[in-house]
Amino acid sequence: MTRLLLALLAFEVAGCAVVPKMEKVESGQQNVGARLELPLDGAWNHFQSAQIAPARVWTMEGLPVDELRVFAGVKSGEAIDAGAPEIAGTKKIQFRAGMHADEIVAMFEGLYTKGGSTFQLDKLEPWSFGGEKGFRFEFTFTRKVDGVVNLGVGYGAVSKGELYALLYFAPRLGFFPRNKDKVEEIARGARLKM
Amino acid sequence: MKRRRLLAAGCLCGLGVAPLLSRAQPLEETPAPEWRMPERFTRPDTATDEGGLWAMMDREETRLRRSPFAIRDTELQARVQDMACRLAGAHCPDVRVYLMRTPFFNASMAPNGMMQVWSGLMLRVDNEAQLAAVLGHEIGHYLARHSVERLRSAKNHSSAATVAAMFGVVGAIAQLGVMASFSGYSRDHEREADRIGLTLMRNAGYDPAEAAKIWQNLLLETQANPDSRTPNPLFGSHPAPEERMETLAKLAQANPGGVSKAAEWNQTVKPFLQGWLADEVKRGQREESLALLNRMIARSPNALYLYARGETYRLRAGEGDLDAAVADYLAAANAGGEPAETHRSLGTVYRARQQTPEAKTSFRRYLDLAPKAPDASMIKSYLEEMGT
Repeated sequence: MTRLLLALLAFEVAGCAVVPKMEKVESGQQNVGARLELPLDGAWNHFQSAQIAPARVWTMEGLPVDELRVFAGVKSGEAIDAGAPEIAGTKKIQFRAGMHADEIVAMFEGLYTKGGSTFQLDKLEPWSFGGEKGFRFEFTFTRKVDGVVNLGVGYGAVSKGELYALLYFAPRLGFFPRNKDKVEEIARGARLKM
Repeated sequence: MKRRRLLAAGCLCGLGVAPLLSRAQPLEETPAPEWRMPERFTRPDTATDEGGLWAMMDREETRLRRSPFAIRDTELQARVQDMACRLAGAHCPDVRVYLMRTPFFNASMAPNGMMQVWSGLMLRVDNEAQLAAVLGHEIGHYLARHSVERLRSAKNHSSAATVAAMFGVVGAIAQLGVMASFSGYSRDHEREADRIGLTLMRNAGYDPAEAAKIWQNLLLETQANPDSRTPNPLFGSHPAPEERMETLAKLAQANPGGVSKAAEWNQTVKPFLQGWLADEVKRGQREESLALLNRMIARSPNALYLYARGETYRLRAGEGDLDAAVADYLAAANAGGEPAETHRSLGTVYRARQQTPEAKTSFRRYLDLAPKAPDASMIKSYLEEMGT
């Protein structure tokens, strides 16, 4: 229990302030931002915090057990960790429109490894996301604060110079295998409005 | 929860940077009492407060042993454990070293003999003697039982300890000062641990002149950080660490001799360098990383350091940085033994500059060297896009 609390605190320090603002997300088509449409099925909850901007975080099992992070319309020059507290000597992680898939994944890696956690890329391949030419990747993310080994999957594309991406991770034992297909369904059903 | 707070505070009490952070007072100004190594400590009765502290540390040690961040390498473990053993003398059987993959400069020792050494420290030392300086200092705190005192006093600072605990596990070099302010030892304790550490170094046959150098190197990194110009937790409230370095150097001059064991150390850590350097780059502290890598390249311009510096430049992406990155990647390739990723990064920069032939050559080279790379299919798609 205490380790879980520490993980929650770490989540907060990592730029994800834990405030008791959790809302159920209705099943069905969900609009995220102006252009991204995601088909949701299941008991997802939306965790609201300015500190995770510009992303939004959904969870099925509860934080910090699993996390679906959604980036919808990140503009060139905008930081993917814009809402996170400043850390002396470190710059925000900026998305640039000219980035290719491996650079975008490296950017996400930087986001997850800020505090000494480890991120191992297991696979990166071309993939169609939201009807756009994009990428899909799998990763192993070991969280520093509690030593939990998570598996993750991510999808993304750059459309009209904006970044759209979904990143999901959960403990490799139990939770990730249980929810992976649901996340894959969401990613497959994602649509980017023109 | 209170137990955990206390525990976390205790874990920090042997902070490796503490010697640098504590108020620099010339060691020679203090009387030099005859120091004698104490008898081995016996496990305190569990009914006592110290017994309780030990029990907590034991539980923490179990967690550490199982941690996915533990570096499980027989040779490296044996070398560092042996060093700690020789430094600790008669206390050798009580010192248990845990090597942890954490990219920050730190070592600590708990009252029950559990010692943590982080990869960020092992990356930064030039030789075994420099690591011995830090380990000796931490063992000094242990032998003088400073850590027990700190754990006790942590009971009165639980809220601060909670903060310190978070920084301790989440970590960032700039945050270490905050940790130290909560968990650091008193100036007297630091002076005493410095003295004991140097004595232990000498006894173990290490050159004590290396002790000052490690702090000098760390200072170079910290000063490279633009944020260090404003008062920061590392140095803002402490007198110049230069004074302390001078003092350590003077003390070492009084008893010259000993070995540094640079070649042996560098050979032992060689298999880990690429991973530790990757972790260093991921810290996102570009200026500090460049200061570190410049020093390392001046010492030994090998491909791993050159690639890591190239990555740091590329990711900083300031004016002239991409040119510097390309120069380092090419130098790494020229030196030989470069990571395959050197060519992927070269391809990335060339592609961004629309130097298509060079980009294709570099990506192909990457795939030749790492055909089963996790991103191989993505890189192949780049090549297709550019026209094969």
